[in-house]
Amino acid sequence: MTTISELHEDAALVVTGPPQWAGELELREAPGPEATLLMMDRQGGAIAFSGKVEYGQGIRSGFSLAIADELDLPLDSVRLILGDTDLVPWDRGTVGSVSTMTVGIQLRRAAATARGALVTLAAEHWAVDEASLATSEGHVFISGEPSRRVSYAELLQGKDLRLPIPEDTTTKRAEDFVFMGKDAPRTDALDRVTGQAKYSQDIVVDGMLHGKVLRAPSYGARPQQIDTAGAERVPGFVMLVRDGDFVGVVCEREDAAEQAVDAIRVRWQEEQNLPSDSDFPAALKEKAKEMIVLREEGSPAEGFAQADHVLEGSYFVPHVANVPMETSTAVASWDGGNLTVWSGDRAPFVVRDELAQALDMSQDQIRVIAPEVGGSFGTKGTVGVAQEAAVLAKAAGRPVRVAHSRSEEFMWGTVRPAALFEIRSGFNADGQIVAWEYTAYHTGDRPQRGQRGADTPYNTPNVRISVADSASPLRTGSYRSLGCAANHFAREIHIDEIAATLNMDPVELRLMNLTHPRLSRVLRQTADRFDWESRRNDSSVGIGVAIGYDAGSFVAECVEVAVRRRNLRVQRVVAGIDCGLVVNPEGVRNQMEGSIVMGMGTALREIVEFDSGRLLNPALSRYRVPRINDTPEIEIVMSGDSTTPSTGAGEPGIVPIAAAIGNAVYAATKTRIRDLPIVPRLG
Amino acid sequence: MELLVNGKSYEVDVDEETTLLAVLRHDLGLTGTKYGCGDGDCGACTVLIDGEAKNSCITPLDSAVGCEITTIEGLAKGGDLHPVQEAFVEHTAFQCAFCTPGFIMSTVALLSRNPQPDDRQIRAALTGNICRCGTYVRILQAAKAAAERLAQKGGE
Repeated sequence: MTTISELHEDAALVVTGPPQWAGELELREAPGPEATLLMMDRQGGAIAFSGKVEYGQGIRSGFSLAIADELDLPLDSVRLILGDTDLVPWDRGTVGSVSTMTVGIQLRRAAATARGALVTLAAEHWAVDEASLATSEGHVFISGEPSRRVSYAELLQGKDLRLPIPEDTTTKRAEDFVFMGKDAPRTDALDRVTGQAKYSQDIVVDGMLHGKVLRAPSYGARPQQIDTAGAERVPGFVMLVRDGDFVGVVCEREDAAEQAVDAIRVRWQEEQNLPSDSDFPAALKEKAKEMIVLREEGSPAEGFAQADHVLEGSYFVPHVANVPMETSTAVASWDGGNLTVWSGDRAPFVVRDELAQALDMSQDQIRVIAPEVGGSFGTKGTVGVAQEAAVLAKAAGRPVRVAHSRSEEFMWGTVRPAALFEIRSGFNADGQIVAWEYTAYHTGDRPQRGQRGADTPYNTPNVRISVADSASPLRTGSYRSLGCAANHFAREIHIDEIAATLNMDPVELRLMNLTHPRLSRVLRQTADRFDWESRRNDSSVGIGVAIGYDAGSFVAECVEVAVRRRNLRVQRVVAGIDCGLVVNPEGVRNQMEGSIVMGMGTALREIVEFDSGRLLNPALSRYRVPRINDTPEIEIVMSGDSTTPSTGAGEPGIVPIAAAIGNAVYAATKTRIRDLPIVPRLG
Repeated sequence: MELLVNGKSYEVDVDEETTLLAVLRHDLGLTGTKYGCGDGDCGACTVLIDGEAKNSCITPLDSAVGCEITTIEGLAKGGDLHPVQEAFVEHTAFQCAFCTPGFIMSTVALLSRNPQPDDRQIRAALTGNICRCGTYVRILQAAKAAAERLAQKGGE
């Protein structure tokens, strides 16, 4: 395995800087020392370092394009090292759609610093003024005389430069971009279509054994009596590890480990009185914790008193599962007191720190490497399988791999919180919303995760927004646009109800109440492209609209559905996004399409069913995610401009889709959708 | 048991009920074929058995003995990508790409029995494969593009 000192030995130029992360979309410096952000070798190639992981969002490509542009290098001269705690700057995890706006910007500045240094070297080389020089494709040349040029490799011969990013580093303007802003294929495409890309499931270490952990049949269940004799008889059995309630087997093969763990006989003591899915949404209010007022302005009471109309509604989204195609997997290998773990996780530094705590080790004894990650969508942010593999590997004295089965992933991965919303609005006959009272209850494993996206983007003088956490019997965790997508579902359905009450056009009603220019613009452009006006007159289909904001970006979606009893088909989606400067339009389109398809799943059929702490549908045959024959025609409209800084594109697309579909179903059937999923409620 | 994979013969010494997926990944080191569910619900483990797309996770090894098995590693010939692989690259018909080998194998099987499928036939052939990243729009485009590419190649 490569070490950072080996990389430094080969480096002719190293750019350092503080690790950065975004909290509440604000750029902050992370704890920890200055880190290597970018280096150039003596052949003139660049290696950039980031704690982000590649789980499908195309960040390796996005970063590569940005660095190639700022450094004026050919794309294939840029290499990225991602998610390896021994090599990359500290990072809190690949979350919140902020990689491009935080690390992307920082890597651009690092690349610009390197380019500046190369120009300085060339100016010394020719004894000319730096201002007379330009760069292109790995060379510095004299402006206007492209034949008088010197390669980066030549300039870097014998050099050993260490440069912090200067305060006044400037990055390129959009009009000077060679790679950014244009459609680009993924730089890692070839490995992905040939089966060569290595995910955590594919990591093989010399002498590796396979572990399986005894799982409880229900949450909170504890083993009372355990008979392991059957496991020990399975061919290829190596050992059994028991520590309190933790029971794991280690075998030569994965299939043997499955058989062995299945052969353990256990009498379980299960928790009593755990809620079932049918107890929701009532349980959300019953188990509510402290109610937090996020914003209170004007007087909602007076607003309601003066309004021409007052409308109330309550809305519900159930627990849904992330279902990454690659189940959580880790390989752990010990070398004396040092531990290396390959874990398909979105937050390798978090895994490292949690491992250090759990195993009573220091952080520098642990190296966590995230290989390619086969999907996350918010899950895979915990130490789970990494710790299990580490414990089993230590006991076995050999490397051990632990991989979730699909049913383990459903039960012991994490799910999106359920949420209940109560909305009361006051509005005038002309459509002006004058009072807005919004109360949300989100289940969650961490406090205040339901606050994202709870505030209304509509301009209303009398407002009260409150959110409470609530308990869940399931293992809740993050999910694409956590909290935000759920909040938008409730709000955007309610807005549609206001329009329906007044018999107003829902696009017009929204525009009338919006003052945010980017949100209004993306809604107008999306409705135009959808041909909203004329599609309204087609009575064979229903059309719906919803808008939203997340990760600093603004979105609008128009959908067309056809409904015949319980047969609901989403036929067409036009989605607009304003995420500022677009680094790779193809990447943004791909993410938007994916967000829409994923959100369609939550809208139409997805629900985690459970009874007394047991999951009832932990299989892909019973938990119905979108498939190719559910896929509508999708068109993406880019509504931002290149002078606005880049904001998130991986999550915003999911924000309006469930409400837009619900509103279209209402248009088609006059059945008002207030609860998800929709399909079981039709016909 | 003797197994014929990607034109090569392998001798494997495992229990005959072992799944083909386990043998490919564990014994032959062909990790391009993925485990997604173990139940035949998701298609991540799709391989060709005598040209037909099958879920290797529910295929017992002994039922594949004597057949020609093709995995994602066996598609490219002499460094040239298969037209279906080319089309998936061109349309970026993936995100995390964990499902991609399975989709490509299902598409190859479809085009070999129906070189000019319409939209509905493509959807029907690929509905057993799940892409949780939701890149289906692109997969449809890639399948169509691959069909055109193959038709052109055949005509050359």
